[in-house]
Amino acid sequence: MVQLENLTRHYGARRGIERISLSVAEGVLFGFLGPNGAGKTTTIRVLLGFLRPGGGAARIFGLDCWRESKAIKRDVGYLPGDLHLPSWMNGVAAVSIFGAVRGCDLTQASRQLGERFGLDLRVKVRDMSRGMRQKLGLILALAHSPRLLVLDEPTISLDPLMQQSLHEHLRHLAAAGHTVFFSSHSLGEVEQLCERVAIVRDGELVADESFAALRQRAGFEVTIRWAEPSHALGLVPPEFLKLTRREGAVWQGTLEGPAHRLVDYLAGKAVLELTIGRPDLESLFRRFYQREKGGAR
Amino acid sequence: MNSGLLMRALRESWPATLIIGLVLMGVESLLAFVLPKFGAQLAQQWLQIDFARSIMQAMLGTEMAGRIGPQIFQAVAWVHPAVLALVWAHATIFCTRVPAGEVDRGTVDVWLSLPVSRWEVFLSETTVWLSSGAVVLLAGWAGNLLGSLALPEAQRPEAGRLFIVLCNLFCLYIAVGGFAWLVSSLSERRGRAMTSVFLVLLALFLLYYLAPFWPPLERVVFLSPLHYHRPVNLLAGGAWPWRDMAILLGAGGAMWLAAGLVFAKRDLCTV
Repeated sequence: MVQLENLTRHYGARRGIERISLSVAEGVLFGFLGPNGAGKTTTIRVLLGFLRPGGGAARIFGLDCWRESKAIKRDVGYLPGDLHLPSWMNGVAAVSIFGAVRGCDLTQASRQLGERFGLDLRVKVRDMSRGMRQKLGLILALAHSPRLLVLDEPTISLDPLMQQSLHEHLRHLAAAGHTVFFSSHSLGEVEQLCERVAIVRDGELVADESFAALRQRAGFEVTIRWAEPSHALGLVPPEFLKLTRREGAVWQGTLEGPAHRLVDYLAGKAVLELTIGRPDLESLFRRFYQREKGGAR
Repeated sequence: MNSGLLMRALRESWPATLIIGLVLMGVESLLAFVLPKFGAQLAQQWLQIDFARSIMQAMLGTEMAGRIGPQIFQAVAWVHPAVLALVWAHATIFCTRVPAGEVDRGTVDVWLSLPVSRWEVFLSETTVWLSSGAVVLLAGWAGNLLGSLALPEAQRPEAGRLFIVLCNLFCLYIAVGGFAWLVSSLSERRGRAMTSVFLVLLALFLLYYLAPFWPPLERVVFLSPLHYHRPVNLLAGGAWPWRDMAILLGAGGAMWLAAGLVFAKRDLCTV
């Protein structure tokens, strides 16, 4: 569905993205994650044919994103990160113009989406709040039921209820075989919604895998509370337990590899409490990125 | 041609077209009425001053010796700075909408995410531009005819000859618009594009007016589009200025084409 091969794009001397390669299969909710300025929007702009790639290739539906942009966009719905719509427009006019450009009647679909998202399409853009404009942008991106939906930080001005409603809708679309390319800097949101994630940082791809694999690679959060601080003092932590905190009777760190090794290590020792949990995506990402920066993968 | 794009361009540009068209209509009717009416007085007093005569000649682009008649004053209505400013303002406002205006206000992302090529956007905008430019000039023509209704028949311009002037002015409009398209295609900011167009037009306007006073400028006066818009000859002779029109259309068309090529190939980035 979406394929990037060594995609590179610079802005003069400044690097935008560097040799990004990834592929997104059909029917996937794909998270594209990274902090602000990491290169997410640049990648999306290349995908949409706004920017010409400096090197490498970008394809959607097997078509070149620069040369065959028009054909691609028949089946793509896009919501820009910084959505601007002409202020004179209201939702009805926008739907009518978008329908005329696309050569189809979007009235019914947009009315249903308007009801779902709680947006009155008769309100003019100039009178809309940022959240309302975002809803209208979503309606315009979704109304023609595209095969691929590219959303650049779509929930940034939506309230939690609306976010939930959008997530449900996206899950429903993915289940029906539509593909969602979901760009965000909110790790929790992507974790909640997407099955696969690519993480981009400083213009480079630092991870591209399923959450399950990513968590596996990052290890488990571990907290050990010893019966006595004196017990802990004399102990040397094993090499598969990377401690981030060691205070009195409490050890906190990351377990790399299977849990039974830790259980074996602790056997016979005076442990008061042991907690092994899955790391949340925030800490996973932070830790993962720090390791990438350090060069140890 | 994409109907949705035409709809959008029309919806966004009609207020400027309406306002400029109505103002041009008013200015033309005033000039068409006032100038011939008070022409004799002007000829007797003001035009006896050498400087004033030179200014008038510069404005009309022709020698006035022995030619002071109704056509001279009818012609002024089509080269008056207020008229030129309105016509050029319309061309500049319209032709800097895409891409500079769209990039500037951040809406280009929305339109170009639709299944249209950049050439389709450009051609739709051009269609609406030329149509609304024609409407503005026709409003000026209507104003001129209205204003001259109050004059004795001998002082009224002949409608057919006025149409030739109008066509020549439309070619001038296209030349200015073509230049504005080109500047807009190279720009990210509409304000900057409009300022650049305005400054160049002002320079070309001054070049044309100052050339009769400073011989070195005579050698480059052909660069000014006003050099190819001389209504007094058209109103007096009634011949079509094919060469002037071809030069204006050629220059405008070449710049428009260059603008289209730049727009089709350039990066579009709103952030």
